Amino acid sequence: MLDLCLLAVMDEGPAYGYEMTKRLRDRGLAIVGEGSIYPLLGRLERDGLVDTYRAASNGGPPRKYYRPSSAGRVALALGVSEWRAARDAVDAVLAPVKIEVAS
Amino acid sequence: MSDFVEQCRQEWRRLGVPDPLAEEMASDLASDLTDAEAEGVSVEELLGISAFDPRSFAASWAAERGVIPVPPSRANARRRPRVLVAFTALAAIALIVAALLLLTGNPKVTLTAMSKRTPGAHLKSPPAFVLPPGGSQQVLHANMAAPVEWILLVLAIIALGFAGWLWSSWGRSRPPGAPA
Repeated sequence: MLDLCLLAVMDEGPAYGYEMTKRLRDRGLAIVGEGSIYPLLGRLERDGLVDTYRAASNGGPPRKYYRPSSAGRVALALGVSEWRAARDAVDAVLAPVKIEVAS
Repeated sequence: MSDFVEQCRQEWRRLGVPDPLAEEMASDLASDLTDAEAEGVSVEELLGISAFDPRSFAASWAAERGVIPVPPSRANARRRPRVLVAFTALAAIALIVAALLLLTGNPKVTLTAMSKRTPGAHLKSPPAFVLPPGGSQQVLHANMAAPVEWILLVLAIIALGFAGWLWSSWGRSRPPGAPA
């Protein structure tokens, strides 16, 4: 699932490691508490789901940018489809539940 | 922060990560950590629990990238069959030795028919057990070495059974398509 989130944020535009962390945080997803994105990026790269290139960042040293490869886009599309199906199924189960909070 | 990167670099060197790749990862990590620091984000916030264990972090990253053959835990998993093979072989050898000793060696437990026992003989002879009378009185003389062979035989059978269970549990835990 975290792999999917990384593919999604880099699909918005090529990004380097810390930039992806910021994009995830802006959406309220602080995944780094359970580890780090670097091994995940390594796995995506090894599996051929991302393309990388080096380019200068804003006035800083050259950074390694990631973007989904064609295989990565396919994996992203499939993953999003599966996630939405699972989310809808869980919603259907939970929808009738009424939550009453005693005051 | 530079200390963290340096420890990662040392771990990559120890693991045999090629220098250009190690330098690339170290450079990317250092740049990210510098950016984070400039924005007031600590190493802990950026890396989570990995911030407290640079060696594991470095090994995990290199393994996921596929730049080192296998992480140590997987290497141990592959080594496990060798231990099992050795254990099984030892148990089998023990079983064979015990069986040979029992089948071909001098009997350590003798069944002797005695018609009469001399007074005081029981003080000199090995421990004896009187069997139920059936015509003549029979006395079972037990040599103290005898149980060792039987114990070895029983232990070997138990060890072989345990080895069989280990083999079956290892077979179930192996991922599909894993190398033998």
